[in-house]
Amino acid sequence: MNLDTLLSYEWGHMAPEFIILAVAALLSLLDLFLPKSYNRRSLAWIALVGILVAVVSLIGLLDSKSVSILHDTFRLDSFGKAFKLILLIGAACVILLAESYEPKEGLKEYRGEFYYLFLTGLLGAMVMTSSGDLITLFVGLELLSISSYILAGMRKKNPGSNEAAMKYVINGGISTAITLFGMSYLYGLSGTTNLKEMSGAMSAQAANGQFLYLYGLAFFMVLIGLSFKLASAPFHMWAPDVYQGSPTPVTAFLSVVSKTAGFVILLRIILTLFLTMPGDDTQKLSFLETHSIYISCLAGISIIAGNVIALRQRNIKRMFAYSSIAHAGYILVAISALGYFTFDAVWFYLLAYLLMNLGAFAVIQLITDSSHSEDIADFAGLYRRSPLLAAGFAVFILSLAGIPGTAGFIGKLNIFMNALMTDPGHFVLASIMIAGTVISYFYYFGIMTQMFFRPAASTEKIKVPAGIGAVVVLALAGTILFGVAPNTALDFLHNNFGSFNDFLK
Amino acid sequence: MDLLNSYQNNYLIVFVFLCLGILLPIVALFLGKLLRPHKPEEAKYTTYESGIEPFHDSRIQFNVRYYIFALMFVIFDVETVFLYPWAVAYDKLGIFALIEMLIFVIMLAIGLIYAWKKKVLRWM
Amino acid sequence: MNSVPLSAYLVLALILFCIGLYGALTKRNAVIVLISIELMLNAVNINLVAFSKLGPAPSISGQIFSLFTITVAAAEAAVGLAILMSLYNRRKTVNVDEMDQLKH
Repeated sequence: MNLDTLLSYEWGHMAPEFIILAVAALLSLLDLFLPKSYNRRSLAWIALVGILVAVVSLIGLLDSKSVSILHDTFRLDSFGKAFKLILLIGAACVILLAESYEPKEGLKEYRGEFYYLFLTGLLGAMVMTSSGDLITLFVGLELLSISSYILAGMRKKNPGSNEAAMKYVINGGISTAITLFGMSYLYGLSGTTNLKEMSGAMSAQAANGQFLYLYGLAFFMVLIGLSFKLASAPFHMWAPDVYQGSPTPVTAFLSVVSKTAGFVILLRIILTLFLTMPGDDTQKLSFLETHSIYISCLAGISIIAGNVIALRQRNIKRMFAYSSIAHAGYILVAISALGYFTFDAVWFYLLAYLLMNLGAFAVIQLITDSSHSEDIADFAGLYRRSPLLAAGFAVFILSLAGIPGTAGFIGKLNIFMNALMTDPGHFVLASIMIAGTVISYFYYFGIMTQMFFRPAASTEKIKVPAGIGAVVVLALAGTILFGVAPNTALDFLHNNFGSFNDFLK
Repeated sequence: MDLLNSYQNNYLIVFVFLCLGILLPIVALFLGKLLRPHKPEEAKYTTYESGIEPFHDSRIQFNVRYYIFALMFVIFDVETVFLYPWAVAYDKLGIFALIEMLIFVIMLAIGLIYAWKKKVLRWM
Repeated sequence: MNSVPLSAYLVLALILFCIGLYGALTKRNAVIVLISIELMLNAVNINLVAFSKLGPAPSISGQIFSLFTITVAAAEAAVGLAILMSLYNRRKTVNVDEMDQLKH
């Protein structure tokens, strides 16, 4: 390999990743060499500018055809581009939240690290969206995970934060090991780590009925390991504790960026490897069709467990953790009912979830920081204290609950239609989804009654920092726009990414 | 079948070694007990510590600073693993891998600078 | 002299993995839990290297994969131990079942 091969690669397609990497490295050096008295808050704006430049460079790449460089370890296809866009927008909002974050005891000298660790986590997630190789997928996953472990424990003087980080490390480590064990069998039987070649080898072996049970075992282990990352029940135990103990921007990061990345790696591995592989030697059904019952179970249990346990939570961050478990269940419904519209449904739901959840977390961060407690009762009388903030939070909650006119409703509708349109229709899952949504009304509307009908503990006006205000306005605009005119997003998706038909090529 | 036989033969060797390993200490200790004189004394039962009187518990807590050095060593030690394959195949890989490795080493250097600025390299 | 079949390595890795999983799920001491996770990751390494030498389709990429696994495992252990240290400084305990402050 000489310089010609080096230059023959289209490095421009990695520009978003390079930008994030460069900004993260720059920020870490700046953080080290700037004088102690310097206010590290301005580093957040550099990080934000870096993410925005990456978004611009990604938009510049939207028209290009699917390319793969570095021996197909890095591939920029429409799937990668579509989900990278969600990740970047989510990370930009999280950085804005982190800029205004001020815990009780202060972040002190860790403020700079707080910002660039988000970027390294984002980099890991981005590598995952566009990798065509098991090794890069794994490295991206771990880059995201290890950054999140440190972020969760960022408040070093706070016992809750320490405990959250410890629980996250232990659960994350176990899930990594389980996923890897499954991956080692996938590699061993197919003899390559390249996803495309693996898919070919596995189809050929399965057509002869070879190794079917071992592949089933590997599929099962990978699915379980990744469902830890998605926080889908029954592997959700870590989520409430970690969400509660982490700093609020980190909670937002985990519930949006980390979860999106989890779905990305799930789709990459499961669809690339198992979609075309025959399920038995009669070759009537594909492997995924014979095994999709496992994904359906995860989806059903997540929806029920998430929504029911959320009913009795008094801590707002804990409640949102359970709500995010339920939302992971909704998205898993779309994946288990695999059809022509699955990608559209998952993408749209993740976009809607990003907007409404980040908006909600922006308000939660503001309220919990000002009252130094995370009880739902702190939201009492929010309408009197700040009518605009209360109205915004109400829209996010309505959207999370799936009320018509909001993006959350359209997202749920897409998934619901997708579940019914496949043949055979997933009627049980669809009805569980409706039941779960109805249960979720109780706790979502519980917050609404607190906000609008309960007297406020203090009449003190709330001062909204610029970063939080920007996130709330952006999320509000998006939630309503995609709720009233969902075609703006779906047309954008279809015009730029087609129907993801270069995913398997 | 031939393969299976030689495979089982391997385990026979393991078994023989296992038996020897158990027998040897038993025989040695037993013979020692038979042959040596038996005259117990107070001083004979104390822990031998280079001729010095033992003065506290043998299990002590080490300074926590060792831990950070050990951690630094483990991280950089493991990263070197990536340099070996590159060094061995340097002629075949050429300039491309050289540039990749430079990026890798620069990233490691940033880590080292981090440790240096955070004063973990200093023993205080 | 290569008469040990692939299945022996796979069984060894599986046993190691199960010991690690058992330890990670039942032990009280967080250090032992972290060690158990390392055991599970090392079981993966045995699998990868065995497959890359003796598998149905041997190739070098398994050994490369295991290099990455080793590195990532080291990084994860380092982060885990560092977090445990900071937890110990606050709470003076390394027992997993005493980390029960975060509850509804």
